[in-house]
Amino acid sequence: MINLLKVLYKKEVMDASRDKRSVVAGLYYAIGAPLGICILFTLLLQQLASPDALKITIENSLSAPNLVAHLKNNDIAMATDNTDSKLKPIILQISDDYQKNMREGRPATVTLIADKSDDKLRKHIQRVEKTLALYNSEVASLRLITRGVDPQLMRVLAVEVNDQATPDSKGGMFLGIATLSMILTVFYAAMNLAIDTSAGERERNSLSLLLSHPLSSLHIVLAKSAAIATFSMLGLAIILVVSKFSYGMVPWQQLGFSVTITPSFMLFCAVVCLPIAFMSASLQVFVSFTAKSFKEAQSYVTMVLFIPMALSMVTTYDIATDIVQWLPIAAQQFALMEFIKGNPIPVPQLVLSTLITIILFGVFSYLSSRMLKSEKVVFGL
Amino acid sequence: MKIMFNLRKSLIKLTILPILLVGSTAVLADNNKKNQPLLTPCYMEGLADRLMCGSISQPLSQNPADGNIDIHFAVIPAIKPSYPDEAILGFAGGPGQGAIDLAAIFNRNLQFARETRDIVLIDQRGTGYSNKLQCDSDDLQTQFAFNEAFADLPALGAQDTQKCKDKLNIDLSHFTTPVAAKDFEAVRKALGYKGFHLYGVSYGTRIAQEYTRQFPSSVITSTLDGVVPMQQSLAAIGEAIDSSLAALFSRCEANTQCAQQYPDLQTEFTALLAKLDAQPVEVQVLHPRTHETITLAVTKAKLFGAIRMALYSHSRRAIVPLVITQTAKGNYSALAGLMAGADMSEMLAMGMHNAIVCGEDWPRLNTQTRQQYNKTYVGSLMIEGLDIMCPILNVTAVDKSFYQPLNSSTPTLLLSGERDPATPASWAELAMVSMSEATHLVSPTATHGIGSQTCAPKIIAQFIDQKNMQDIDTDCIKEKNDKQFFMNINGVAPMHTQTATLNAQDKE
Repeated sequence: MINLLKVLYKKEVMDASRDKRSVVAGLYYAIGAPLGICILFTLLLQQLASPDALKITIENSLSAPNLVAHLKNNDIAMATDNTDSKLKPIILQISDDYQKNMREGRPATVTLIADKSDDKLRKHIQRVEKTLALYNSEVASLRLITRGVDPQLMRVLAVEVNDQATPDSKGGMFLGIATLSMILTVFYAAMNLAIDTSAGERERNSLSLLLSHPLSSLHIVLAKSAAIATFSMLGLAIILVVSKFSYGMVPWQQLGFSVTITPSFMLFCAVVCLPIAFMSASLQVFVSFTAKSFKEAQSYVTMVLFIPMALSMVTTYDIATDIVQWLPIAAQQFALMEFIKGNPIPVPQLVLSTLITIILFGVFSYLSSRMLKSEKVVFGL
Repeated sequence: MKIMFNLRKSLIKLTILPILLVGSTAVLADNNKKNQPLLTPCYMEGLADRLMCGSISQPLSQNPADGNIDIHFAVIPAIKPSYPDEAILGFAGGPGQGAIDLAAIFNRNLQFARETRDIVLIDQRGTGYSNKLQCDSDDLQTQFAFNEAFADLPALGAQDTQKCKDKLNIDLSHFTTPVAAKDFEAVRKALGYKGFHLYGVSYGTRIAQEYTRQFPSSVITSTLDGVVPMQQSLAAIGEAIDSSLAALFSRCEANTQCAQQYPDLQTEFTALLAKLDAQPVEVQVLHPRTHETITLAVTKAKLFGAIRMALYSHSRRAIVPLVITQTAKGNYSALAGLMAGADMSEMLAMGMHNAIVCGEDWPRLNTQTRQQYNKTYVGSLMIEGLDIMCPILNVTAVDKSFYQPLNSSTPTLLLSGERDPATPASWAELAMVSMSEATHLVSPTATHGIGSQTCAPKIIAQFIDQKNMQDIDTDCIKEKNDKQFFMNINGVAPMHTQTATLNAQDKE
């Protein structure tokens, strides 16, 4: 029986590799996704990182030369002309009675005018606010010293934060997207192949020929799934290698974290994704057989793949409920993320979801093999 | 003149100390490194990031009978460890500061360099967690009330020194710079780094140079911020203090508002010092924290010491003219406030500090240098203090070769601030006479330790990355970073509104 499966598997792999262009087309995703993510994030990082010199408009600046100098020391300069490309639409208005209030020890009003709904501007606004707060405490401290009071009195609590994160674990969302792209590879890299080997084979009328041999339909389905899974894993291997090199080139460290794909992670990812690859293959074969034609199969498979994608997404954006965390895909992706962060792996969730994945593989394979016993399915009637 | 030296009274002590401080105001370590000593996660004040702390045992001396000393260290892990074989080694100042406790400051000054390399902080033997040699110090109330003009200072000083010596009960000769440098190398080996990029601040530059001299192959680059040349005694600090203070006076004079508000500031200060020297004043002030009425003996040493400490920070420099005129008018609150912030006796490991100055700076004094340093107020106080303290402590003098300038081909970046009250730019020039790959950058307005005040962190990171200073844009170091003087007790706004807009720009 093993020999029989081997022969059938060889046949399926050979069949699939014949159309080299479509095989490669399926793997483009594995190469393209990490590169695309890297380019995207490199551009995003440039936007996130506050530029060294921020230029803003300061009105009535002559009333507060010391404040203007303080801002300048913190790389927030007053724009000299309105056409400056670094000039951000942030206006700091210094009140007319600034000097009088400052002298009399009353709060001197400065007004910050900016649109806080502008995402690109928010970081700059925060930077200005932070710098103003710094000036506030600096001058207030000196006011207290000159009155013989220790400015430490203003610090009622010395709040110490012990952040348990590591540079590797701070990547949060970025790690989610990176692992999402890996899991999706398992589903997408061999999608066209799955459809071709099932719905396609039926349309080419070679399915009935295959079934006319003295084989169990389960053998045929298992061999097809194995072949599809092989190409999925090939896709995964490619995306892991490409990720390892491309993520290393993005200057994540400027945001205070790093994304490192280690060989041990690559191995872990391969082991975790293997059952998923089989499950994905059997699912796609099953859905393809359910459809009446090749084109219909394409639509259905694409739709069905939304489910694993959704499970992966909820983990990526950390909105999974307690129950969802135990489901296949979601739990496995969570385990991958924890591994890459260097945190302990949630073993019960991982084991359970892997078991469910394997059971699903069995169920889909059984259902497909049952369907192949029906003439309606075999001939697409 | 009166001898003004007392070890027990910390504030006075500060006047005579060569205060060379750092700053004016972890991931499970890479598994691929061999022989890692046990590292455990730890956290330091003011820094949320997780560090990895550990220690190694080092022989106290060459005689095994003396036992061992635990040398503690902390690793601030790189954000992205692109160079796992290299790390930046931070040396703290003082002498007597512990490097690990200053993790937040080192992390800030080296924030860009840390993006790709670990920062290693080692508590030099006798400081911080490495068997801190601490002497007793008085509380603020006792310090305020102590009137050194009426005390027998040589006797008190000798008594305190003896007390501290008895308390520590250890041969301080094992705590000099050349001995300590070997601990740093041992930690490097234990952590498995192939080489260090050094970053020393103030006294830390002296041990950085000594480390480079003893272990040149372990040093990839060296950044010295606020440089103490090997040829220079710390007792020469008096000149730096005087010129930093003179720069403050002339800046006030050059500014219309300041000159108007505080005319003849320098004359006023000199007169005030002379008056207090002749006749100290005892007054009642409110305790800066408890608000109780306490006695403050206003003496020349206290006033000068408080002003001296203020010279380190730009924000405190801004109130110096105000403090001087208020004190001259007989209003001592401002002086009390300034003194409250200047108490750093808890921060420094005085035993280790004394081991360094008595083993390295005192033995090299000769008639000529004594005469020269005695010309300044702080210099003379220091020499008198050392003459009382060092014979009692009996620290073995370092070898004469220690005083030779460092002869090195290691890429070296020297950083100085023109207004530094401790290590003037001329000291860096002296230090680099025998360095073949040295670059010296001077910030025209910065005070001590320009890594905390200027754009130096970016330049340091670039220098560490490319291991030379070629094509690195250093213009930003010239940017002014000083602050306007307080014109009244509430801030910098001048008293007369008419002149405000006219003289808005600092005319300096």
